[in-house]
Amino acid sequence: MNTTCSPSSCAPATSGVTESLRKPLYNVNGNAEAYEVRVEMPGVPKGGVKIDLEDSILTIRGERNATVPEGMKTLHRELSPLSYLLRLRLNTPVDEEQMTAKLEDGVLTLRLPLKEVAKPRQIPVL
Amino acid sequence: MKLIRTNPFSLNRVSDFDEWFRHPFAGMPSLSTLFNNLGEVFPGVANDKLAVDVHEDKDNYLASFEVPGVKKEDVKIELNNGLLSVAVEKREKDGDKENSYSLTRSVSVPEGVNAEAISAKLEDGILTVTLPKQERSKPRTITLN
Repeated sequence: MNTTCSPSSCAPATSGVTESLRKPLYNVNGNAEAYEVRVEMPGVPKGGVKIDLEDSILTIRGERNATVPEGMKTLHRELSPLSYLLRLRLNTPVDEEQMTAKLEDGVLTLRLPLKEVAKPRQIPVL
Repeated sequence: MKLIRTNPFSLNRVSDFDEWFRHPFAGMPSLSTLFNNLGEVFPGVANDKLAVDVHEDKDNYLASFEVPGVKKEDVKIELNNGLLSVAVEKREKDGDKENSYSLTRSVSVPEGVNAEAISAKLEDGILTVTLPKQERSKPRTITLN
């Protein structure tokens, strides 16, 4: 996990950084064991993602590859060249050490296992 | 990934219809407007379309489509009657069940593309279709003797 991007330095709104970023589409699923965050980041190569968890704020940043191939003229444009930034506040303690991330076909899948204290518990009746 | 070239002379309703929208995609932002309007007339027809970029250099046209999460085997590319159509099947796991839905997009291919040499690659959620120009449509320098 890289920690080059702290939540405060990534947020254009609060820090006044001129770099433009966009919020990617994402989905969160969860069960008793873990949350799974799925983030769509087309155009981001392996190694272009930085994930950081600090003060229960999860920051995901993806550097988009150049959309215009070198030396080519653009005839029609719909794809955004902006890189991605997603910040999520976690309201449940997750096991940071056991977090896993996988980038495949432009989709980042992040697994956030819940800490033992956050897991539902069965209380047997004696 | 399949690259299918269907018979350009086959007549069906869809290709007749496409004929109306046929013009080279050079400078064609109006085409997307047309397709959007089409969606208003026939709901569901032009919705869920893929975003596309088109670039050009002296040898090729390049069409890039955003297809995050799509596997190679779920991509179908077809060239029919001067219209390049891309259809992808997107599968998403939602807990134990899997949802899938289709996304499509068509762009008009200008004259002078070597249809036999069209190629496509899928990388990092971007589908890039390369349409090589035919020799005669490349700029040529004529030297004086």
